[in-house]
Amino acid sequence: MKKMMMLLMASVLFLAACSGSDSADGGGGSEQDSNKVTIWAWDPNFNIAALNMAKEMYEKENPDVEIEIVENAQADIVQKLNTGLSSGTSKGLPSIVLIEDYRAQSFLQAYPDAFHDMSDSFNVDDFAEYKIAPTSFDGKQYGLPFDSGVTGLYVRTDYLEEAGYTLEDLQGIDWNEYIEIGKKVKEATGKDMITLDPNDLGLIRLMIQTAGAWYMEEDGVTPALAGNEALKQAFEAYKGMMDADIVKPNSDWSQFVANFNSGDVASVPTGNWITPSVKAEASQSGKWAVAPIPKLSVEGAVNASNLGGSSWYVLNGDSSEAAADFLGKTFGSNADLYQQLVTEIGAIGTYKPASGGEAYEKADEFFGGQKIISDFAGWTEEIQGLNYGMHTYAIEDIMIVEMQNYLNGKSIDDVLNDAQAQAEAQLK
Amino acid sequence: MGRMIEKFNDHGLFIKMFLVMVVSIIAVSVTITYSTIRMSERLFMDTFSITNTKVIHQVKSNFETFSNSVATAANEVQQSGTIKNYLSQGDTTSLEMAKLYYNTHVQMDRAHLNVDDYELSMMVTGVNGRSFSTDRANWVADEEQIAALDLTKNTLEEPRKLLYQLDTENGAPMIVVTKALIERTTDSIYGAFYLSIRESEFKRFYSSFTSEGNDLLIMKADGSVLSSNRADMIGDAAPELLNEAAEIEEEGIDFREIEWQDTRQIMLAEHLPALDMYVVNLIDQEVVMDNLINTKTVVASSFLIVLAAVSIVFLISRRMTKSLSQLVREISALSKNNFDQYVTATGSFETKQLAYAFNDMLDELHNYVEELIQTQKKQRNAELAALQRQINPHFLYNTLTSVKIMVQQGNKEKAADTVNALISLLQNAVGNVHETMTVQAEIDNLKSYVFINQVRYGERIQVSYFIAPDCEELHVPKLIIQPFIENAFFHAFNQKTDGFIHIIIFKEENTLVCEIIDNGDGMQIDSRHALPDSRRNRQLFSGIGVRNVHERIKLLYGSEFGVHISSNPGEGTHIRITLPIISSNNNPKI
Repeated sequence: MKKMMMLLMASVLFLAACSGSDSADGGGGSEQDSNKVTIWAWDPNFNIAALNMAKEMYEKENPDVEIEIVENAQADIVQKLNTGLSSGTSKGLPSIVLIEDYRAQSFLQAYPDAFHDMSDSFNVDDFAEYKIAPTSFDGKQYGLPFDSGVTGLYVRTDYLEEAGYTLEDLQGIDWNEYIEIGKKVKEATGKDMITLDPNDLGLIRLMIQTAGAWYMEEDGVTPALAGNEALKQAFEAYKGMMDADIVKPNSDWSQFVANFNSGDVASVPTGNWITPSVKAEASQSGKWAVAPIPKLSVEGAVNASNLGGSSWYVLNGDSSEAAADFLGKTFGSNADLYQQLVTEIGAIGTYKPASGGEAYEKADEFFGGQKIISDFAGWTEEIQGLNYGMHTYAIEDIMIVEMQNYLNGKSIDDVLNDAQAQAEAQLK
Repeated sequence: MGRMIEKFNDHGLFIKMFLVMVVSIIAVSVTITYSTIRMSERLFMDTFSITNTKVIHQVKSNFETFSNSVATAANEVQQSGTIKNYLSQGDTTSLEMAKLYYNTHVQMDRAHLNVDDYELSMMVTGVNGRSFSTDRANWVADEEQIAALDLTKNTLEEPRKLLYQLDTENGAPMIVVTKALIERTTDSIYGAFYLSIRESEFKRFYSSFTSEGNDLLIMKADGSVLSSNRADMIGDAAPELLNEAAEIEEEGIDFREIEWQDTRQIMLAEHLPALDMYVVNLIDQEVVMDNLINTKTVVASSFLIVLAAVSIVFLISRRMTKSLSQLVREISALSKNNFDQYVTATGSFETKQLAYAFNDMLDELHNYVEELIQTQKKQRNAELAALQRQINPHFLYNTLTSVKIMVQQGNKEKAADTVNALISLLQNAVGNVHETMTVQAEIDNLKSYVFINQVRYGERIQVSYFIAPDCEELHVPKLIIQPFIENAFFHAFNQKTDGFIHIIIFKEENTLVCEIIDNGDGMQIDSRHALPDSRRNRQLFSGIGVRNVHERIKLLYGSEFGVHISSNPGEGTHIRITLPIISSNNNPKI
């Protein structure tokens, strides 16, 4: 009887042991780590590739710092920065962010406390002067200048020849001469001279910077549209192209690229960052060359301008010291990195000590043996520094509409006066 | 084996009781546990279905908002003359084209405003090879590639319909809403409209409502899955689900339980009439239950309760049955002990009461039995006494005849003595009311009897008396010795003609011993008839025999007293009567 009881008890205990539930373990939360540097940038072929190179170099020396590179569309970055910064929290924002120079001031002025002062992290004098004004604010250097937006006139030498021109004829010309050449080219080849997106006035910006003018006054805030001689000439040149019927319109980047890759246009006046896209059509090798950008025929105008270009900014936060150190030791002072960037990506930096290197002197067979990097570097030094101010794109939106009015026959003075009035009303 | 059975019998009550209790406890708790789980499942399923019905309505309304926006955007594009020109005209002057491009951009932006809330891109392609996209990065950028897609072909086949199609071939799954752009007057197609949204983006309409085991699917009318939080199902065909969904819609029920992919699922469905699609919600019962009802805990806790209950039942029933079975054991052993051993009263109140009652009953029984024995003894005694007192009429007749002869012979002296002896004998037998008499009186009585016998049969048998002096005043039952003298007279001397009879009375320890010794014929002691019967007509008393004496003594004084006879043929007989020492007449026993 006792044995039976023991058996019963034993089986009961055994069953009880079996039914014990297994406990779940809690998940660990992610902690903000001052040694983790997150970077946001766009364009995998250009900016992201450059970052990866810098990361590789930096991590060799500093293995304890973790660098995370996140690719985001530029519009997304702008939107997220605006959202994050306006809510006053650095949570969810990266340590380093790439910002286009045109937009830089609007961020720096709106959220000066959010950005890390980089004055001590690199030597400002090592960089092209024209990059300093957009990247600094109130005497402090916030941005570390990155790529150059230095422009050139990419031309099809074969079409030029058909129209009876050589590359020599394009040196030091102004936009009116450019239009004349365009007419000839169209006459001779049936090809349009230029492709334009009516919704993007990049060409106007490029034109007015040759004259050292901008949409705004030096203070970066006051619209300077009415009576802006450079702007007036730029508009006239733009309309001149239309009237000359040498423009092939496009509606976006892909059509833009397609238009010159397909051989439908004879020239592309734009920033040097277009080089990889031009070279993408390998069948056109040897048919391209790069001339200096045409200038406006106003006093002080030069055959050099800038379009686009961006710079690195460090946001204040736990890892801002590590982020500043990363930028200072890579893009801020490493000439080898810039050599490598040129060689592997074709990216031209604005770091002056690197501009004399071997890579800069290399001839490019695609461009008929032209040393285009060297040429761009030379033009870079000529670019007139500008304060792009806070409202470049806001004003441009007004200009796009007014440009249509102008094309429809409105007088140029009315156009600019109206634009001035709208801009003042809107930006007040 | 036998021992085990015996043990089982011993603990039978306990085992039966305990087993019944254990079985009932387990049965009850299993039933309760099971029904608790079932009930909570049911309750949970009901509430879940109600919430999910609301959720699915919400999802439906999200979709309707979305599809309305999409339809509006598509309509605006369709109605825009600028866009029609953009897509159908050939190249003109730069100025005109620039205006057209610009205006197209403006129109597309305006149409896009309708769907600004969603992350998507709109694209149009035209018969003239032109295209416009609000964001080429979002989807396929190449016009030729788009033209080659199946979804373009589908669009051209059904030009009037807004088609929701899934594109899984170009990277991440994309949901593309397409429509052919038609010139209304001529009914000719001049382009196509594409609105592309990443499936992952599309999912956001409902993904916040989903969880593991709670899946949502958007099914097209052809049975294919357009979008689902389960990535593995996107693009799959599931016609059986579509049938179920159609039935749910038709019957107007909220939900139905189905077997799908070998699991039990609750299915909810809602028709989107504008799109001819179904929003299907599948709830995997097992997964959801596992997350919400911790069956293990419920079972474990009821198991612990069962364990505790069984232990308590074990202890209590053991205590109760232990005393009870002890009682039973003692009672069954009682018969071996002549009912004079009480049972021990232990254990619970009931058992104690039972034991007390049993002991009381035992007492009663004892009293009753004793009383009965006493009554029977008295009755027997009375019978025997009555028998003793019956004087044999033959004896009287013979004696009187002897006296008459003595008188006729003139032997007056002897006749007077004989009559005196007879008188004394009768006086003692009839007149004395006491049960006992002194040894002295008994001897006197005997002497009278012997005298009469000697008168009648001569003096060839000598009788001698040896009475210890301290015994003379002791009492003996009446007529105890007389039957043996009578016996000796009439049976012991049939062959021998003369002899003697000795009567010896003495004390031996605490007994009074009377010995009647003769030297007559003796006899063979038969084991059956230890004491011979009397021959009637020569005896003094008709009813009394030697055996009666023995019986009577035992009746009166107990079995240690009685008559013992030893005899050998030819050597005589030795009778020994043992009696208690009774010093006075007032013996309580009689």
